[in-house]
Amino acid sequence: MKGNKNPAREAGVFSRRNLLKGAVASALAIPMAGSAHTKEVANNDPEDMVDLSKDHAFYGNGPQAGVATPPQRYIMYMTFDLTTSNPRDLQVLLARWSSAIAQLMKGETIGQVEPARDSGVGMDTGEAMDLGPASLTVTVGLGPRVFGDTYGLAKFKPALMRELIALPSDNLQANLSGGDLSLQACADDPQVAYHAIRNLARIAKSTGAAETRWSVLGFGRASAGKGQSTPRNLFGFKDGTRNLTEKADFDKFVWIKDGGPAWQQQGSYQVVRKIEMRMENWDTDRVSDQNNIFGRHKVSGAPLSGTKEFDTPDFTKKDEAGNLVIPATAHISLASHENNKGIRILRRSYNYTDGLSNLGMLSAGLLFISYQKDPAQFETLQTQLGAADALNEYISHIGSGIFFIPPAPQEGSYIGAQMFES
Amino acid sequence: MLKKTFKRKEALATAGCLTALLMFSVDANAQDAAQAPVKNGVSQVNITMTSADGGSCVVDHTSAKAGPITFNIVNKTATSLTELELLSDNRILGEKENLAPGLPASKFTLTLDGGSYQLYCPGATKEIVAFTVTGKSASQPTGSTGSLLADGTKGYATYVNGVVDAMVVAVNRLKSDIDAGNLEKAKEDYPKARPFYERIESDVSGFLLPGFKATDNAGNLDYLIDMRASNLDPKVGWHGFHAIERDLYQNGKITPETKKLAAELQQNVAHLDKLAKQLTYKPEDLANGAADLLEEVQGTKISGEEEAYSHIDLVDFAGNVEGAQQSFAYLKPGLEKIDPDLTKRVSDQFDVVNKLLDTYREPKNPGGFKYYTAEIKAADGAKLSRSVQALQEPLSKIAEKVATSGGA
Repeated sequence: MKGNKNPAREAGVFSRRNLLKGAVASALAIPMAGSAHTKEVANNDPEDMVDLSKDHAFYGNGPQAGVATPPQRYIMYMTFDLTTSNPRDLQVLLARWSSAIAQLMKGETIGQVEPARDSGVGMDTGEAMDLGPASLTVTVGLGPRVFGDTYGLAKFKPALMRELIALPSDNLQANLSGGDLSLQACADDPQVAYHAIRNLARIAKSTGAAETRWSVLGFGRASAGKGQSTPRNLFGFKDGTRNLTEKADFDKFVWIKDGGPAWQQQGSYQVVRKIEMRMENWDTDRVSDQNNIFGRHKVSGAPLSGTKEFDTPDFTKKDEAGNLVIPATAHISLASHENNKGIRILRRSYNYTDGLSNLGMLSAGLLFISYQKDPAQFETLQTQLGAADALNEYISHIGSGIFFIPPAPQEGSYIGAQMFES
Repeated sequence: MLKKTFKRKEALATAGCLTALLMFSVDANAQDAAQAPVKNGVSQVNITMTSADGGSCVVDHTSAKAGPITFNIVNKTATSLTELELLSDNRILGEKENLAPGLPASKFTLTLDGGSYQLYCPGATKEIVAFTVTGKSASQPTGSTGSLLADGTKGYATYVNGVVDAMVVAVNRLKSDIDAGNLEKAKEDYPKARPFYERIESDVSGFLLPGFKATDNAGNLDYLIDMRASNLDPKVGWHGFHAIERDLYQNGKITPETKKLAAELQQNVAHLDKLAKQLTYKPEDLANGAADLLEEVQGTKISGEEEAYSHIDLVDFAGNVEGAQQSFAYLKPGLEKIDPDLTKRVSDQFDVVNKLLDTYREPKNPGGFKYYTAEIKAADGAKLSRSVQALQEPLSKIAEKVATSGGA
């Protein structure tokens, strides 16, 4: 294990601790002094820092926030079923969600918490007051049924929008899958993310347009964004070492640029999977087996064929006995673009826990979220993984969803507005 | 936002003063300049919401002549503004909700008499804009909202009295079964006595017997009639419907203790009858009562806590919903004048809940519904809860509507 230690990364760990301390100071400073908060910028990863006063813009000319945005520490993810057959209700919901999200991302309430009238009910539930924007992003997704016949929106269906194909090893449960709309709220304070979803769900109910379907509260981002050090999943392994970070890769693999309708350009497809992880079994597995399953060393994150985390894996390298150093069934081997005709996806996953199962076991896993310009990118990778991944013994795909992520609306407009302007 | 709340109060106060002053000091020429243009006999006022200054409601004319006036509202860029109301002396005369940037303009038309009004734009930096109507309206609106609501509250009082009368009869029947030691008959009549209380629970849950303090459950009629095992006060012990339910369904026998409980219940329901007959209601009481009944559904029926032994929770569920729907029905004629969109939304959601409830009907069971078993709860609890949630959110807005509606 000592051999795998990377001095540079060690330094990174230390500076990160300092930054977290700095973050506490900044959180305290917010109510008193607005922008005057302490920042201790002491490492090479200026993005990899918790600054609770930081905010992201909702409106714009490009993609929605929350996709290329470096992952925040927490997620509250929820999907909704449409309960209306009136397209006007859907339109109002998307417009009200959009304006509310714009405010929430600024760290504001979405209306009065304590109305002046005695009989009034608060517009905003209030639990995120004074917590700051905490880098909140809320990303809105439109599920397949939005583009069905019910709302007369079939003609706006994005070219590649469809349900995912059945994949090997799928163990999907209906109550953890599907949905007509999705909201991905990510923030560096879980209460800020939760508050956002809670209040957006209230709007859904009060407009009569949608009801809640399934939801996951996630923590400890499990994929790296640009400028972030690689986090670990709940199996203790670094996840997302080879994730997309460069603009050129986003343009190539994530953003839709297919010459279709203007309002779909710079959109993307969101695939979400709830992956249960069998903790108790994993924790009793010898670490050499764990390393072979992932194809990496647990502590350093280095591929078994190399010595440092960012060494390019060599999937052909063999040991003295003639066996592949990275087994052919290792997770990184089956998932790699080298072995998938160059296909890549953006991963934006989070760890989750649901407490204990009814069998007394830890109920936890990975809320896997990927973005790609074509759902087939995910399907190709998961077809390989689902069939042969050595990790399958320890995981199970129990939930699934697919959503089209339209680009950000410009100020004065809302998500998907073009569908309603005929 | 808290700050805004206070601001609004002050703003209302100043708005009142200002308009009072205006009525005396503004000269006719100035009024004409600000007066809204008339198109096809209807004055046209345009209101534009923008994000300027942290949220602004810009009114193009702050004065109009008496008669029909259309308020056209468009939200250009204001994320914090979602509604607009026209107020007279703190009462809502007209409003638009669900406004958001990008949506088409919406409008409402009112026939207004000369006087001072306020345009209220909650969340705006300047929330209140004074609006003056000059002259006298040619025609007066008939059947005022206030009188419709007042009629509704009287009608509702009659409904409550009818329910209490029926409850007295049903409880008497249950007591006779128990006195006769007829367990089977009692188990048939228990579910028939239950829904009456559930229909009017929100109106009768506050009664205290004379001489008791509010904190003493021994004098709390709701406790004595309807307390569940999960919330018992050991000092007072267990009384009422659910203690009887335990004897009938859990213990499976009628004991002298059961007979005592039944006699007590009969007496307490008689008390309740007398007290309920004296109740009068304000429109917002009906709205709040309906909301409270739905909270009851969510709190104790969907959880299966209410009827832990008989499992007739769906009977109680239907009772709560019926009571809430009756409250709403009596408000409806007035509410339709105040906010037809909301009225329709709530009506539609009641339909959804009732349609769902219908799928659980079982005519051969006492009470007429399937038993709320652990299996149904596990499989359908979330579905039932969601249908009620979708009703709760729009319904929760009614109390404020009727409390601030146009005067009688």
